[in-house]
Amino acid sequence: MKLARVVGTVVSTINAPDFDGRTLLVCDLLDPSGRPSGGYMIAVDSVGAGAGEIVLLLDEGNSARQVLAAPGAPIRTVVVGIVDAVTGEEAAAAPAAATKARGPKPPRRGGVT
Amino acid sequence: MQLARVIGTVVATVKTPGLEGVKLLVIQPLDRHLAPVGSQLVAADAVHMAGPGELVYFVAAREAAEAMPDRFVPVDHAIVGIVDAVRSLASDEPAAEAGPPATARPSTKSGLPRRARKAGRP
Repeated sequence: MKLARVVGTVVSTINAPDFDGRTLLVCDLLDPSGRPSGGYMIAVDSVGAGAGEIVLLLDEGNSARQVLAAPGAPIRTVVVGIVDAVTGEEAAAAPAAATKARGPKPPRRGGVT
Repeated sequence: MQLARVIGTVVATVKTPGLEGVKLLVIQPLDRHLAPVGSQLVAADAVHMAGPGELVYFVAAREAAEAMPDRFVPVDHAIVGIVDAVRSLASDEPAAEAGPPATARPSTKSGLPRRARKAGRP
């Protein structure tokens, strides 16, 4: 899996049927320290990730189809988690980056604080 | 998946079984600011609606074949959607519009826009 930051969405009305009703997120790939490592991916959301959040990207087709319960879908990259913190020698900057990116964001799910 | 611009078509009369009727398009992969990145490649059109000049997103590897009607075809890149807009969620970046240059949009036989043609399909 890969670390990435959600930086945008893709709006599409004409697409393969398996993409109907799914949210496509543009995600910049990050290194463990939270810096963009170059490159991006368009991923299908499965957790309700939002702008600026650091997320966990799954980039493998069989697992992606299993997570989305969509057998036969042409989907390979899925957002499978929202990262709270990354620890380790290289990772000191990641939690700070995540906090900075989120900022004063309103609660996302049903008003839970 | 990645963004790409359709820049041409490929005509192949002799194809491996399973690829009959599959439209092949030349695409230029783009970065998220819609600047060209990497080399051009040939992708199968799984939405049957993409044409030169259009902004699309494509899937690579085994999943590309999953997008085709026959799932066991030798396809490694497939266009799975036409992009209307790429919205940046950061407030300091402008949203990228999908509209291709007017000269690049092919004329349609029916004279109807693409969306209208799709709506009228059986």
